[in-house]
Amino acid sequence: MAEPDAGARPGDDRTLGLPAAESTSADTGTARGPGRVLVAVYGVFAVAAGARAAVQLALQFDEAPLAYLLSALAAVIYLVATAGLARGGRGGRRTATAACAIELVGVLTVGTLSLADPAAFPDSTVWSGYGSGYGFIPLALPVLGLLWLRHQAEVAAEQAETGQNSPPPPKSPPPPKSPPSAE
Amino acid sequence: MPVTTALVVGATVLAGAVALLGALSTLLRRRIGQAHLVGAAALELVLVVQAVLAVVALAGGHRPVETTTFLAYLGTVVLLPVGGVLWARSEPTRWAGTVLGVAAVAVAVMLWRLLQLWEVTRG
Repeated sequence: MAEPDAGARPGDDRTLGLPAAESTSADTGTARGPGRVLVAVYGVFAVAAGARAAVQLALQFDEAPLAYLLSALAAVIYLVATAGLARGGRGGRRTATAACAIELVGVLTVGTLSLADPAAFPDSTVWSGYGSGYGFIPLALPVLGLLWLRHQAEVAAEQAETGQNSPPPPKSPPPPKSPPSAE
Repeated sequence: MPVTTALVVGATVLAGAVALLGALSTLLRRRIGQAHLVGAAALELVLVVQAVLAVVALAGGHRPVETTTFLAYLGTVVLLPVGGVLWARSEPTRWAGTVLGVAAVAVAVMLWRLLQLWEVTRG
């Protein structure tokens, strides 16, 4: 991989990484910059919760149906939020906002219920005890997600306001030249 | 015992180092560099060795109670550093290191869960 000459401290740059690109207004997107960290965490939770729910539902559904169904629901919501954040755009933002909102309500509801009535939740879910089994990340994620989505919506609105009609990046090669009509 | 505490502790230390390097690049406003790649490669090596040893032991008759879950975790944990590196390399902002760090922390957490699963056997 050809790396551009970074100047004063090339050795240091190669070890710890080249200087990062500053985020510019052109870099809008829910999956860019800090958004990519959010998508990564959501992705980990989608896979972890999904795999766990699949095993529980397949092998031991009778033991705690409510908890396992809740785990499956949580997994689906994480998956939808991950997809919405990764896709971005107006539709992706709307999908992700809905998923994060449901997730926040879910973690608060299940967290409260699991503490008020532990007998109803014999086997823990991702959301039990406000996600205390997962370092409270399930509680922090939807809040961070909603804040990030609000910020992204503001950026998008600003761009629409300033009428920034940047031409779309060329995605396909230019059309082939028409053959000369006259010989 | 292929999934030993020693192996898990070693991998956890490596994962922690990768996560710290990732945090460092984010703080220094840098992308990821060779140090991250070397750290992630070392971590991956330990994980592959552990996976091979575990599969050999499973074939030899070791049966954790939750074998399905164990295998799912084992497969995922091997893929995580690879996915983290690929995705971090394509991120031009300083958050690349944090993305890799998220993958490394997830690996560390999953390793301890793997160890739990491995030690619970029937009979």
